[in-house]
Amino acid sequence: MSKGVLLFAFNSPKYNYYDMAVATAKRINHFLGLPVTLVTDEHSQPNNPTYQFDKIVIAKADKSNRRDWGIWINKGRYRAYELSPYDETILLDTDYMVNSDRLLKLFDMPTDFCCHDTTSFLMHPTAAQEMLSVYSFKTLWATVVMFKKTNRAKQIFECLEMVQNNFDHYANIHGFISSTFRNDYALTLATRIANGHTAPIEDVIPWNLVHVGKNTSVYKNTDTEFNTEYTVLFDNWTKGKIRKEYTTIKDTDFHVMNKDIFMELIA
Amino acid sequence: MDTKTLLTEAKARFNHNSAKAQLKDKYDSKFIVADQNGLWRANLETINFLNSSKDKEVILIDNFNNPVKVDRKLLLTKLHDTYTIAMEEWYNEWTELETNR
Repeated sequence: MSKGVLLFAFNSPKYNYYDMAVATAKRINHFLGLPVTLVTDEHSQPNNPTYQFDKIVIAKADKSNRRDWGIWINKGRYRAYELSPYDETILLDTDYMVNSDRLLKLFDMPTDFCCHDTTSFLMHPTAAQEMLSVYSFKTLWATVVMFKKTNRAKQIFECLEMVQNNFDHYANIHGFISSTFRNDYALTLATRIANGHTAPIEDVIPWNLVHVGKNTSVYKNTDTEFNTEYTVLFDNWTKGKIRKEYTTIKDTDFHVMNKDIFMELIA
Repeated sequence: MDTKTLLTEAKARFNHNSAKAQLKDKYDSKFIVADQNGLWRANLETINFLNSSKDKEVILIDNFNNPVKVDRKLLLTKLHDTYTIAMEEWYNEWTELETNR
């Protein structure tokens, strides 16, 4: 059984996702010992690449999605099933900071598909879990997805394509804003549809996805390439004043929502 | 600017509760064990049950709420080892954290 990690990286005018993917791939090789396949487009690839991916798949970038900071090329994730060369794949966001071998446990799980349904924010332990809307489901997260080449996993990704193509319709039904396509929302709906409108417990990774959220900065404690110790600084707003608080973490994987912070960490 | 200078200049306070919550989050996943077609949590309840039984095989409800027939001794060894290692690491990090108070 071949195992590996799949990353999608399409450069936007603001962020170099290819560089993020290279940094993440190096950490995957180091901490997980797994090969990494990159899905990207010709425009994102540098002329003289310094890192050799296990495989590079060229795909067309869908530039129809926007966020507050500009074009966000996140569509087409449903192709992960078809494009992964591995029997067992971890599909990872490029801004996921691997600091341990924890993700290897996913391959041992007695399931063919799983992702996170619960998050925890560094320095913000009481943050509420995200819902599609107040009338809808708890959000699943597309940041880390493990899948095996089975019919059920294939159906989930086929549903993901259908939800992406009809995102406005599902937004209307579930009461969320459709102006920005989100893989998390599409995945939440796709897994439910593929599972007969149920939410099997087997589809859930049994630990929390750690986020670096708003008002939070992360700094490396050492300048080594595979640093695993960080200082997390948080602006705690209380009674109209900011109180700076910090903690330190080590050997903990985390997802950096702010791309500028991620770029600084990999610099 | 190194992180120590940064923290001093920002007059930042160490948040012990966040550190404690983060440690718990981190170690929660280390107690998860996939074995004999089931997903288990190495906790005292399961370890004690496996330890107290005399049967070669037992049926347990795993984390996915499935009844799974397991070789008792094999699972006991795996859960016990996982528990001991994870608790040791957690304790060491906790002790280090306490010195930051």
